[in-house]
Amino acid sequence: MMGNAILTGNTKSPAYYIWISSLIALMVLGGYAHFMSLLTSQEILEFSIRIPWALMVSNYVFLVVSGSGLCIVSSLGHVFGMKRYELISKRCVFLAFITILFGMFSIAIHLGHPERALVYNIITPNFRSAIWWMGALYSFYVLFIAVEYWFLARVGLANKANGSMGLKRKIYCLMVVKKTDESQESQKNDHKWARFAGIFALFFGLSALSTLGAVFGHTEARAFWYGPYYPVYFLFSAAFCGYAWLISATIITYQVKGKEIPEKLKKLLFEMGKICALLLSIGLLFIAYHVGSGLLNPASSQSVMLLLNGPFSQSFWLFEITIGSVLPIIFLLYSANKKNISGLLTASIMVLVGVFVMRFDFLVVGEIYPMFSPMGKDALVLVPSFFPVLMEIFVIAGIFGLLFFTYTLGVQFLPIEEELP
Amino acid sequence: MGRRNTTTRRQFLKFVPAASVGLSLGNSASVDASFVKYGKFHDTTKCIGCKRCVSACKRWNKLKIDREEELTDRETDLSGQTWVVVNLTRDKRNREDLHYLHWGCQHCIKPACAGACPVKAISKLPEGPVIVNENKCIGCRYCYQACPYKVPRFDFEKRVAAKCTMCHDRIPRVKPACVSACPVGALDFGIKQEILAKAKKRTEEVGGYLLGEHEAGGTDFLTVLPTTPEALGLVVAPEKVISSDLDKLRITSFGFMGASLLTGLMYMYSRTEEEQKEEEEEEKKE
Repeated sequence: MMGNAILTGNTKSPAYYIWISSLIALMVLGGYAHFMSLLTSQEILEFSIRIPWALMVSNYVFLVVSGSGLCIVSSLGHVFGMKRYELISKRCVFLAFITILFGMFSIAIHLGHPERALVYNIITPNFRSAIWWMGALYSFYVLFIAVEYWFLARVGLANKANGSMGLKRKIYCLMVVKKTDESQESQKNDHKWARFAGIFALFFGLSALSTLGAVFGHTEARAFWYGPYYPVYFLFSAAFCGYAWLISATIITYQVKGKEIPEKLKKLLFEMGKICALLLSIGLLFIAYHVGSGLLNPASSQSVMLLLNGPFSQSFWLFEITIGSVLPIIFLLYSANKKNISGLLTASIMVLVGVFVMRFDFLVVGEIYPMFSPMGKDALVLVPSFFPVLMEIFVIAGIFGLLFFTYTLGVQFLPIEEELP
Repeated sequence: MGRRNTTTRRQFLKFVPAASVGLSLGNSASVDASFVKYGKFHDTTKCIGCKRCVSACKRWNKLKIDREEELTDRETDLSGQTWVVVNLTRDKRNREDLHYLHWGCQHCIKPACAGACPVKAISKLPEGPVIVNENKCIGCRYCYQACPYKVPRFDFEKRVAAKCTMCHDRIPRVKPACVSACPVGALDFGIKQEILAKAKKRTEEVGGYLLGEHEAGGTDFLTVLPTTPEALGLVVAPEKVISSDLDKLRITSFGFMGASLLTGLMYMYSRTEEEQKEEEEEEKKE
């Protein structure tokens, strides 16, 4: 089987090298686009000066919301004590950590001066700004999610350190800060601390998530974003995104390793599929509410019409509604009942694709109509196309290459596998 | 002269405690004893669309000059290198009635951009101008999103937000570059109260509309329109402070209520673990 050796690091496997080379190629492409933007102008990453938040910011929103969603799912095991969820907690927390990390990387490329953000966010904070709160809360969140993963993985890392030699052993020892104790007592202790870090990670994760929604909710000047909708909707959409990420990553990892998914994990995956379908249904109600209330509000009705019957209608009806919500609900419920893993995988990937498009749409649609402008309502015609520019796509491809590369390395060298009793 | 005339008894009483605090703090730079607020005013009924204001702004602020942009009647947009524009607006009811609109930062009395900037790079000076500290700006472009007029644009060379500063480095010694350059007196600058009175008087004379008196909570840049903004095809900001702090708190609280609800649902879901255990135990017994 070709996929059998992809993640085992077998040097003879061509599939492994093809996979790694493709990811490196994506990273080189992203690196090239970013380098060119530094060398020439950041303008090459923007399709309109009037729409400054586009693919880079939507990718940030997509990744950090997914990360927070994964944190929500993982906390079901550690914080809320659901034993069956503890099975997937390591993979879930690791994914939560890397998605937020590369989400932040995405926004760092978008910022004009990311280095200043690190300094002035601390020296001169503006407590009235939602972006400041989001940055601060997400920083704490990253810290606690990293600590949580460390406590979850310490025994596994110690085990790897004890079982290896030379440089490899030194690196693993460094990763566990020389705490190579594998006793039952130390494991209990780790579990306690992981739960403690998990509580904080959940608190900061949820707070940061609703504050991210507030970044859009506070902008009264953008009628489509304004209001309490996004702070609340982001929370629920994060939950189904988290489930979709976890289901797809788990199934793909097992499939490329050529391993049979353990029965207990399968049972959990089907349960997760059902919960994801339920959350997607709630998400559909949210969308219906947003569209309905947006149409009734004269300030935002034009923006909503762009989605329903304008340049974004295809991505709204096809991606956001059909591929991202309706079909996955049917697929997830059908697959969960028929115990079909492939159906589950297809549905969760569809959710992720739909949500990715949805994040882009909501951002761009919200920016098109100004509250007041000397150009009047004709601003729409000044932007020839709403499709992201090639350089922007390159950078995003590079970020995804980096994300999948890190995950592959994680699967290879870190303890993220499910441990069955 | 104007200052002496406009100081009321109430202002004097306000000044007494402020001055005593100022004296107690010695040379503290944070204490502002100035009551003089300035304002800019544009009369669209006088403007001839020569765009001398645009080129004067570019020269004073050392911005890139684009000859195409400076052609009369050429519609232009604000950018990191163009802080003011002059565009032609047409009265919808009378297509032959054309007016030039000088457009740039409105210098809101309570600017939404300053409240949105995460690092306090945007500030409202006590004299009136809203300015961007380009050595501090991180280039997130949230100010652009928060601004009801979409004014702060991104300067791709400096990688920061850029906009009209009301020439705060010239005033009050010299009038802003655009005002000084206007050949027909369509632009004026001075003490806010005087400018407001002048603008109101002019609005009455032409029977038009004074833009900026109430919009977005009031602005320090006032524009006299010959007719209503709607007739000119302009979308008007509401007559309230945009993104007020209280409003932000209200919206944030909804987010936290949502987070609490989600946590509650997660707790309820976690209780199914016990039910499952009981079911498994029953199955074993059977």
